[in-house]
Amino acid sequence: MPQIWLRNIRMYLYMVGASIRAQMQYRYAFVMNILGWAMTYAGTAITMWVLLYSFGAIEGWTFWELIFLFALAVLSWGVCMVFFFHFRGLDQYIVNGTFDRFLVRPMHPFFHFMAMKFDVGAFGQFLFSTIAVALAYHHLQMHWPLWKWLVFGGAVVGGTLIQGGLLILISAIAFWTTRSERLYWAVMWPAKSLMNYPLTIYPPGVQWVVTFILPFAFVNYLPSLLLLDKTGGGYAPYWGFLSPVVGPIFFWLCLRFWMHGLNHYKSAGS
Amino acid sequence: MSLIEVKHLYKQYDVAKRQEGMWGAVRSLFHREYLSKMAVQDISFTIKAGEVVGYIGPNGAGKSTTIKMLTGILVPTSGDILINGIVPYKERQKNARQIGVVFGQRTQLWWDLPAIESFELLKQVFQIPQQRYRKNMDTFAEILGLGEFMQTPVRQLSLGQRMRADIAASLLHDPSILFLDEPTIGLDVVAKERMRTFIKEINQERGVTVILTTHDMSDIEKLCRRMILIDKGQVMYDGELAKIKEKFGQHRLLIIDLEGEESGFSMAGAEVIREEGNRKWLRFNRRQISASQLINQISERYEIKDLAISDPEIDEMIRQIYEKGIDQIV
Repeated sequence: MPQIWLRNIRMYLYMVGASIRAQMQYRYAFVMNILGWAMTYAGTAITMWVLLYSFGAIEGWTFWELIFLFALAVLSWGVCMVFFFHFRGLDQYIVNGTFDRFLVRPMHPFFHFMAMKFDVGAFGQFLFSTIAVALAYHHLQMHWPLWKWLVFGGAVVGGTLIQGGLLILISAIAFWTTRSERLYWAVMWPAKSLMNYPLTIYPPGVQWVVTFILPFAFVNYLPSLLLLDKTGGGYAPYWGFLSPVVGPIFFWLCLRFWMHGLNHYKSAGS
Repeated sequence: MSLIEVKHLYKQYDVAKRQEGMWGAVRSLFHREYLSKMAVQDISFTIKAGEVVGYIGPNGAGKSTTIKMLTGILVPTSGDILINGIVPYKERQKNARQIGVVFGQRTQLWWDLPAIESFELLKQVFQIPQQRYRKNMDTFAEILGLGEFMQTPVRQLSLGQRMRADIAASLLHDPSILFLDEPTIGLDVVAKERMRTFIKEINQERGVTVILTTHDMSDIEKLCRRMILIDKGQVMYDGELAKIKEKFGQHRLLIIDLEGEESGFSMAGAEVIREEGNRKWLRFNRRQISASQLINQISERYEIKDLAISDPEIDEMIRQIYEKGIDQIV
C-alpha cells in the first residue's frame, strides 16, 4: 500500500511539472491571471475599508480584524485553487468525451484528473493574502505563541480541504447531468462572499448551514475567533481548533460522492 | 482459449426528456422523466488472440458503446465481459495495462505540450522500463515518421500527424489488445494507407489483437478477415468478410445511360436499384442472366448511350444487409 501511494505521488509530481510547462506556453495570460486576481481581492478589501469608514465596526470587528478574516479565507482558497480549481471544468471534459482517457490508464481516475492541472495562476491569491495577513498582524500588534501558528496552519489546511471538497462535490454532479459549471458559480461564489464577514451578522439558519452542512465556518471565522481572542455568537473558542479535523472528513465524504458519480459516468456519444 | 469473451451484453441509457419552454425547464429541476434507450442488446462474441476484427455498423448502432464497455470506460447494464480473464470495469487499472485505446475523434495526448512530452508522461504512468521505451519509440518513430513533429505542441499538429502520435502512444506499453475507434476518420488517402500498413504490421509482427470500428469499408477490406456487423444494438452478422463477398459476388452492377428521358423503366432479370435522370443502376445475378443477354434485352427496347459494369461495392453490400437483414442475402 505505501508503495502504491509513493508511486502515485511521484507520478503526480511528474504530471504537475508537465502542467506547469503547459501553462508557461501562455506567458501573457499567466501574468495577467496573477495580477487580475490580486487586484480583484484588493478591490474587495477597499470595499471593506469604505464600509468600515462609515460604520466604524461590524459586529465588533475592526477594519484590520476584518482584513485578517478575509485574508485567511483567500489564503486557503489560493491553496485550494492550485490543486482543485480545474475541477469546475470537469463538465467540459465529460461533454467533449475527453474524460474517457482517465479511465483507460493505470492510475486512480481522481488522482489522474487532479494531476491534469496545477494552477500556478493562484499566486495572485498568495500575493494578496500574505501581504494582507502580515499587515493585519502588524496593525493588531499580535505576538502569537507557537500554538497559534499551528492553529493558523491548521486553518489553512482545513480550509483548503473544505473548499476543495465543495469544488469536487459540485463537479461530480456533472457525472449525472453533464453540466456543473453554472452550479459552481451559483453556489461557490455566494458562499465565498458570505465568508468575508463575521458569521454573526447572518440569520441563525445560515450560520447553522455553514457550520454543520457546508462547513465554511471552519475555513476562517472560527479559527479567527481563536486567533484574534474574540468571542462571537454561540461558538466556544475551541471550535477554532477543529478546522484540520473537519476539513479531511468533509473532503473524504465529497471524494466518496465523486467516486460514486464516476460509476454513473455515461461518456459522450461515438 | 479466447482472449475476449462477451456474453449477453446489454447497455441501457436513461436520457432525460426535455420539456418545453421556461416552465418545463423549471419543472425538470424537480421532476424529470426519463426515456430509456437500449444502446446494446444481447451482444455476444469471442475473439481469439491475434485476430483483427472489424466492428461495424451505422451511426448509433452501438459500436462505440461496446468498445467503451470493453475498455472499462462504461459499466454494462447486464452481461459479462472478460478481457484476458479481467472484468474491465471492475479492474480498470489492471485492464488498462493490457489494452491500448485510440479514439479517432479525440486525442489522448496532452494538448498544450509537444508530442514527446506526452510519450514521456505515458512512460511514467505505465511505468515502462527505459530500455523497452527506447526500443518502442525508435520503432514507431521510424515506421510512422514521428521525428518531424516530435517537438511540436499537439494542438498544432495536423490530423494525420496527431493520429500517428496517438496510435504510437497507445502502443508504448506493449498492450496485447488494441482498440481503434474510427482510426482513419478524416484522414486523406495517403495517411489512411499509412495507418492501415502500420496496423497490419503491429498485428503480424507483435501479435497484437486488433478490434476496430470504422465507416470506411476499405479499412475492413484491407485489414480484417472477420467482421462483426451490428445494427440497433444487435449483431447482424459475425463471420468472414469473404463469405459475404462471395454471396454478393454473384451480383453485378450494370450502369446505363439512356438516350432521352425514360420514366417507368423496368427490365426482366434485373433490379433497378437507383435512378438519376437518364442514368440507371441495375443489379443482376450473373448465374441467371449474362451481361450480354441483359444488354441485348435493353437495347431492343431502349437506346443506350453509354454503359459500365462493375462489382458491387462493399458499402453497397452493407447497406443491403442493414435494409433487408442478413437472412435475405446470405
